[in-house]
Amino acid sequence: MRAVLAAVVLMALAGCAPNRPPGGVQGDPVRGKIALTQYACQSCHLIPGVPGSKVYVGRPLSEMGKREVLAGAVLNDQAGLVRWIRNPQAVDPNTAMPNMGVSERDALDMSAYLLSH
Amino acid sequence: MLTNRQRLIVKTAVLTLLGAGAVGGAAGLAALYGGWYNIGATAQHFPFVYSVLEEGMKQSVRNHAEDVKVPRLGGAEQLQLGARVYRDKCLQCHGGPGVAQSTIGMSMQPIPGPLVDATQRWDPNELYWVTKHGIKMSGMPAWEYHLREDEIWAVVAFVTVLPSMDTRSFKAAVAPRVAP
Repeated sequence: MRAVLAAVVLMALAGCAPNRPPGGVQGDPVRGKIALTQYACQSCHLIPGVPGSKVYVGRPLSEMGKREVLAGAVLNDQAGLVRWIRNPQAVDPNTAMPNMGVSERDALDMSAYLLSH
Repeated sequence: MLTNRQRLIVKTAVLTLLGAGAVGGAAGLAALYGGWYNIGATAQHFPFVYSVLEEGMKQSVRNHAEDVKVPRLGGAEQLQLGARVYRDKCLQCHGGPGVAQSTIGMSMQPIPGPLVDATQRWDPNELYWVTKHGIKMSGMPAWEYHLREDEIWAVVAFVTVLPSMDTRSFKAAVAPRVAP
């Protein structure tokens, strides 16, 4: 009985806590969320937890942790996501997503946020 | 004449309103001078604040642009002029297909939107009005005193053809011209 109660309390607490990145994901998701807004990502993408206009110029970035492939070309692990964020043209030369000049650290933090939402 | 009871009701109502006004005013002044509101552009609006401000902006533009007469748009020369104006005045904040805005435009709050989807949101008379008059408190400047009338219409015409451009044709359109 006590164990069940403890489990229920733990589950309730887990629901309150901010989303944690899945295991093995590096970077700081809290800093990454701000970084996303400082490189204008939300001007073209809907991003969970970031207020903005209803734009569909770029793909909505919800449930990024569940996607397997980016731009039909790169494996959507953290390294692939960082690579895509930092230099989309290296992955798809014709993509309309510009190279925003994102630093390695900022891209890592952004990917940590995206992969945990 | 008012009965005592009626007098009491009026008195209570007036005092309650005055009291509420005083408390509300004090709270407002405390918020204003307390400096607790984070004015930094790294802090986002609450979602509902963003939505209300955006809706108000949209309705204001719709209303004020109603009487704007739209000339014929889309001649080749006009589009060339529009591309030059876009390159010099819009690109740094709005970017374009495959072209990033400058860091000035990246970190503004609210964020300047992309213009490839502008025709889904605005009619040409509204694009003209926004370009000419700007949008208060948003960072969108008014161009009325810095661009000619034909330049404003040219850039509106260019924005209306943006959705049909791929990254290559967009980059070619806004490339710096080499003097002949």
